[in-house]
Amino acid sequence: MSKILIAEDEVLMLKALEFKLKKDGYQVDVASDGRQAMDKVRENTYDLILTDIMMPFVGGMEILSYIKNDPIKNATPVLLISAVGLENIVLEGFRLGADDFIYKPFNLNELSVRIKRYIKQNVF
Amino acid sequence: MNFFETFFDYIKETYTERLLYFPSNIRVSLLIILFCVVATLELYLYMAFRRLRQANEKLKFEKWQEYISNMLANLIIFDESDKTEDIVGHFYPKMKKLPLRNPIVNKLLISEMLVYHKNFTGKIEEVLSILYRKLGLDQKSKQKINNRNWEIKIEGIREASEMGISEIASEIIKYTDDENALLRMEAQAAYIKLSENDPFHFLDRAQERILDWHQVVLFEIITKNKKLSIPSFSKWLHSPNDTVVLLCLKLVEHFMQFDAAEEVERLLKHHNSRIVKKSVEIIGKLELSDAEEHMFEVYFDQPEEIKLEILNALGKISSGNYNDFLSSRIYSNHIRIKREALYAIKRDPEKGESRLRELYHQTTLENQALIGHVLDNRIKS
Repeated sequence: MSKILIAEDEVLMLKALEFKLKKDGYQVDVASDGRQAMDKVRENTYDLILTDIMMPFVGGMEILSYIKNDPIKNATPVLLISAVGLENIVLEGFRLGADDFIYKPFNLNELSVRIKRYIKQNVF
Repeated sequence: MNFFETFFDYIKETYTERLLYFPSNIRVSLLIILFCVVATLELYLYMAFRRLRQANEKLKFEKWQEYISNMLANLIIFDESDKTEDIVGHFYPKMKKLPLRNPIVNKLLISEMLVYHKNFTGKIEEVLSILYRKLGLDQKSKQKINNRNWEIKIEGIREASEMGISEIASEIIKYTDDENALLRMEAQAAYIKLSENDPFHFLDRAQERILDWHQVVLFEIITKNKKLSIPSFSKWLHSPNDTVVLLCLKLVEHFMQFDAAEEVERLLKHHNSRIVKKSVEIIGKLELSDAEEHMFEVYFDQPEEIKLEILNALGKISSGNYNDFLSSRIYSNHIRIKREALYAIKRDPEKGESRLRELYHQTTLENQALIGHVLDNRIKS
């Protein structure tokens, strides 16, 4: 079973994403702030990480940067969620190695399909 | 007899049998002490009771929060193949059973539905809007809008705006020109989203200022809302409200509304220098060559900032009609004017640089250095 980490500071969104991904058959780990997410990333290995950009303590970009600079974990797909679609933020995300950008508001089923695709790609 | 019994007996005796025999100042002091002790005890009791009640409310809140958020999280993870009516039909009876008269439940349900509605698109958005109406929460939003308290009014406006309750637009219009700036701003933003026939009607009646940062908010809403049909904003360039004119000028510029050219030219003689500056910027951006003459007419009466903008606009238009005027600016006492005029000349792709070289041989050493600087393509203007 593929293991996914969701890092999101909005509790309701975190719950919705957790429910959806569990329903899709993934093993889900959650973090409600950047520091918690960073600890989990350091201690565990995930098949995909879904993280909000703006979170307390540690931002999504820092988590992304940590993963992509780690020689063991850098193949893990990282999907960034953001409410701001500012060009420079998107470019910075892709420059750091983000695999995809999800803009709020988004379609939950579309997100589910994207995650499926990234996990498949990573398996083969 | 232990210490406490002796102490209480002494106090009792003091306040019952001996009180009348004390001198009056001691008597008054004793009564004040008694009053303070009773008041302090009452205060402690009140605090204990309040804390107990708060803890109880917190418990209830957490219980309902858990229940409602689980219910809504289950609602939004339906299968894509499920029909909207089926999802609504499945969840409506469950939600109907909630004690919506309970303010905690009501507030929680509304706030959580708003969060999901704001963050998700597609069927979730649709289902939540239908449920919001079916549960009568739209009526509650309407009641809030008619509340006396402006903060509650704003809450109602936000709810109606997020849930797209368009029939409430007629209720909101009266607040779009309210003297309370926060209420006015919320109402204007909501009215644009909700009004189906005339989303810009509020501009016709706006007498209060549209604050600068709210102009940015309205600009974002108007330019990013793809469902909005955009009118010609020249209609409001006559408005006696300068802030309406400024907002509309920004929109004319963004939507490149050439039909507003005549109105924009007229605004060059406006009493508000910010409007004049914006008009000049638009003339430059839209390259309205017919406006060159009007800019020239007003040039000498303007402050330096606007003069610079006019020179810049003349450069962008580059019709060649005002080359002599631009060349003559090199004898201005202001370095920024000289520089802007030289860059304006350079902007003419055909003759600009050769004209600058001609000028180079006819002018002072100081000006020659400046021309050399402008001609250096490594330096950006």
